[in-house]
Amino acid sequence: MPNNDEVLLHVENLCQYFKMSGGELKAVDNVSFDIKKGEVFGLVGESGCGKTTTGRSIIKLYNITSGSIYFKGIRIAAGKRSYQNAIKKAREDYKKASAGASPEEAAQLKAQMEQTVAEQKKLMQDAVNDQRNCDKEYSRKLQQEVKDKYEPLLEKATGEEKDKLNKEYRNAMYKAKKTKLVTQIQMIFQDPIASLDPRMTVREIIAEGLVIQGERDKKVIEDKVNEMLELVGLVREHASRYPHEFSGGQRQRIGVARAIIMNPELIVADEPVSALDVSVQAQVINLLNDLREQFGLTILFIAHNLSVVKYFSDRIGVMYYGNMVEMASSDELFLNPLHPYTRSLLSAIPLPDPVYEKKRQRITYNPLAEHDYSVDKPSFREIKPGHFVHCNDAEFAHYKEILK
Amino acid sequence: MDTKLQVRNLRISFRTSNGKVQAVRGIDFDLNTGETLAIVGESGSGKSVTSKAILGIQAGNAITESGEIIYDGKDLLKISEEDFHKIRGDKIAMIFQDPMSSLNPIVKIGRQLTEAMLLKGKARQRESRKNFNTYLKHLSNAMVTSVAQGDQEKAAYLKDMCKRFNKFEFAHIDLESKYNTAHEAALEVIDLIDILAFELEKNASKDATDRINDISVQAKAAVNPYVVSDKADRIQTLARQIKGQWKRAKKSGKNQELLQSLYEIRDILKAAVNQPVPNFFRMGYYVTFSGKPLPDMPVEELNEYLREYLDKEFMLEFIENAEKALEHSADCSYKKMQEAIAALQSGLEVFAVDKLQKKPCHQAMRTLSAAVKATIDPLSIEKDSLTFTFPYSLQSEIDTYFSAIGKNAKAQKVYNKNKRKYDKIVAKGKTPDWEVAAAAVTDLEMVKDNIARLLNRQIDHYESLLAEKEKRDYQQQTVDVIDYLKTNASGVVAKVTRNIAKRRAIKLMDEVGIAEPHKRYNQYPFEFSGGMRQRIVIAIALAADPDILICDEPTTALDVTIQSQILELINKLKKERQLSVIFITHDLGVVANMADRVAVMYAGKIVEYGTAEDVFYHAAHPYTWALLSSMPDLDTNEKLEAIPGTPPNMIYPPVGDAFAPRNKYAMQIDFEKQPPMFQISETHFAATWLLHPDAPKVDPPKIILDRIARMKNKGGDENAE
Repeated sequence: MPNNDEVLLHVENLCQYFKMSGGELKAVDNVSFDIKKGEVFGLVGESGCGKTTTGRSIIKLYNITSGSIYFKGIRIAAGKRSYQNAIKKAREDYKKASAGASPEEAAQLKAQMEQTVAEQKKLMQDAVNDQRNCDKEYSRKLQQEVKDKYEPLLEKATGEEKDKLNKEYRNAMYKAKKTKLVTQIQMIFQDPIASLDPRMTVREIIAEGLVIQGERDKKVIEDKVNEMLELVGLVREHASRYPHEFSGGQRQRIGVARAIIMNPELIVADEPVSALDVSVQAQVINLLNDLREQFGLTILFIAHNLSVVKYFSDRIGVMYYGNMVEMASSDELFLNPLHPYTRSLLSAIPLPDPVYEKKRQRITYNPLAEHDYSVDKPSFREIKPGHFVHCNDAEFAHYKEILK
Repeated sequence: MDTKLQVRNLRISFRTSNGKVQAVRGIDFDLNTGETLAIVGESGSGKSVTSKAILGIQAGNAITESGEIIYDGKDLLKISEEDFHKIRGDKIAMIFQDPMSSLNPIVKIGRQLTEAMLLKGKARQRESRKNFNTYLKHLSNAMVTSVAQGDQEKAAYLKDMCKRFNKFEFAHIDLESKYNTAHEAALEVIDLIDILAFELEKNASKDATDRINDISVQAKAAVNPYVVSDKADRIQTLARQIKGQWKRAKKSGKNQELLQSLYEIRDILKAAVNQPVPNFFRMGYYVTFSGKPLPDMPVEELNEYLREYLDKEFMLEFIENAEKALEHSADCSYKKMQEAIAALQSGLEVFAVDKLQKKPCHQAMRTLSAAVKATIDPLSIEKDSLTFTFPYSLQSEIDTYFSAIGKNAKAQKVYNKNKRKYDKIVAKGKTPDWEVAAAAVTDLEMVKDNIARLLNRQIDHYESLLAEKEKRDYQQQTVDVIDYLKTNASGVVAKVTRNIAKRRAIKLMDEVGIAEPHKRYNQYPFEFSGGMRQRIVIAIALAADPDILICDEPTTALDVTIQSQILELINKLKKERQLSVIFITHDLGVVANMADRVAVMYAGKIVEYGTAEDVFYHAAHPYTWALLSSMPDLDTNEKLEAIPGTPPNMIYPPVGDAFAPRNKYAMQIDFEKQPPMFQISETHFAATWLLHPDAPKVDPPKIILDRIARMKNKGGDENAE
């Protein structure tokens, strides 16, 4: 369990819409959560509920529609939609209000409206700038650090030593220039064979990230690759082979090695064990657990096998059709599931126990029958410290009653 | 429970560039009607190979070394590809792991769903007609020989009786199918209205035009003299009205009027579907032969009246004669069995000699096949699988033997040559980097054993049949015969047109949980998500109404809710259709849900076999323990015990227990000798030396014991009993 409260990733009102022929598909709609340093955050839900989209938005595979994502306190992604909506609303309000107003009042209203619009426009520009410059700023910071480290050394050094230092300095600067903030977030994909290039050797696959990051020393790359291979339970000889020569579990290990060679702080693991055999699943889970202890990794674990998520995660968020419906620590969630969808999801877990299985009744979830949101609109509220549920006022009171 | 499918001593290998990979090494199991057998194991354990062998879709480099897969009087390993077309998809269907690979990407879903129905529809009609006609002919012949005994007049009368049966049976089916269509339509309308009314009341704005049209069409279809007769006019008017009412409701936003009409339709139909059902079998006879219109009376009285009429005129006599015919035919068959046993016993001597000779062997094969074929009773409805497959099995074994003699001789020469080379190199003090292949291609002794076993099994089979001779209930069998004829007659009438196929397909899509099937029907596979695709694949597999369903990891790629729904669906269909299911998976949670019995496979062998309770609560094989403990459940907190290492290379299968190198409980003997199947209880078997009386007592790993204890706590009531 994490023993500090440092927030590593902060997702705020994340919305990700996709254009479709008949309007927009709200793949992720207003989702907020925090991931603390060193914890494993599980994200569960049925296919199509937006959990993978959330993961991909975090590593910036998509440009998000609205909301912000903060990584280590730096805004790495921001959407414009909410500001655009605010501007639109301000203009409409003005139109409505000024219809029957006197000229003086109208002028005042107009000034007000224009001020709001200007504010929102500025915020929007900030968001765009933040998103565009986060990497540059991070690399500038790194460059500054390098400069501070080497310049006094260089001043002191002379002769041959100076040449050597100079070379090192140039290398380090090059690397710092190339380093991006988002490389601190790495992803492990679901299908190990589809995510490995069949024409690259394992060495090339694992080292690719390092090379892109500006590492030019072959020896360093070689050493690093070998170290990673051993770390994930493969041997040096495997480095010169091609992905098809490996079994499913070994391929997934290559995927893990490729992710951790970048020395990331956060790993987005998108169903890393779903496509694997049971015995191999256990190997990969144990591996991730070991790595987590060793490096203090933070993991966003996306999966649909709830037994595995329960076993592996500290906190779990449940998603349904783009919304986060419930979020709690894993023990709490399984002990006191509140939202009807969570209960339905938990009732669907098959367990290796025939007697229990023959009795197990699946609860179906029908949002239309369960909730009446026509008047009282729902929002994401905290029922109990650390336990959040998507509900309206009436349900909020009801859930509080249940927890007593 | 009767056995649907038997797999005996199945051995399958694959030719590869590196050598022969032994994928399946002698497995036996039975599949009963209406049960689920789960096959569990890691990838590469041979579970998929087994299922593919059952479906006859082996890869090109597969060699079936020995074994039998007996289904419906046929050995699936020996029938021709042409015959397999009639079984594959129709009788045995398979659901594959990857739904996209079993769908055609450029054909619309609807077309793919109806394709099999349309193709199989005609073939089924033809087959049913053939079954009906041949059976009735056999029956009439048997009646003539047993009852008439040379009396020409009587014989003619009996033949006429069978013809009459033929005629009125079809009248019956016609009446009944019309009734069924109307009845189903009524039930569907009730369902549709229930859902729609719920949404309308909640004012959930969804476009209901399709559904309103559907209700209107179906409500009209529900009109039938025995379903809705007195209020038929009212239903017709209402069905017309609701379309207009819906249009108005859409404009105005008020749907009171529409709801009222819908509720009225529902109430009328609800009353209608609860009415008693007339007996159409009897009615068919009355309508065909009496020449009078049906008397006007309530259904119960009508049924009684028709029963008396039918019994008096026809049925009692027919049953009496049919019973005699059945008994006569069975007696003949028993006599032939006695002869066949004698023939088989003398046949055993022919095949017992040291080296078989071609001529006497083929001679014996012909006489034996003829003797066995003669014992087939044409009037028995259940096919005696062993008898039917015997001639083919015998022939293939004998062919194997004689072709192997030639191959072995050739291999011996090659072996001698290579061995000399090898010895020379060794004599020079070097170690060659190749090995000398074994001399014999096929083990001739094993083939001879197989032949003897085949004959002995047939003798045992006959003896057990003869022992049960006295217990046969011919009265019951006559009833069964009439049912059989009825089923086949309805098969002849069941015509599948494009429209019917579409309706059925949409119903199936609905059944497997696809929302808005009307819209989805005209979409391409890529427009569906993974779970939806898998449902389509299941719907396609079920479209042909198979006997056996093989599921090869159907839910591995799906999420829990969908997985749970699909498993429930398979379970439901299994119950409704008496489906036998072979379920291949590595998810033990799913196994616990689905399986009646479980077979655990490792390296091409079944290592443990028993009911689900046996395997989960009293697992005996270390591999089963390893599987159970490598999977977390909701209460697991300790480190998982992953199985170390990888499965063995099956080009060089290990001498002893294949699991020994990865097994921490392995003993010396595990590396030296293969363990036999030890019987633990009546239903539970496991192949591990740990069960030998001399073996040390070993407890399963703690993680499993803990879990079993937890499970017992949870389901305390059941386990206490």
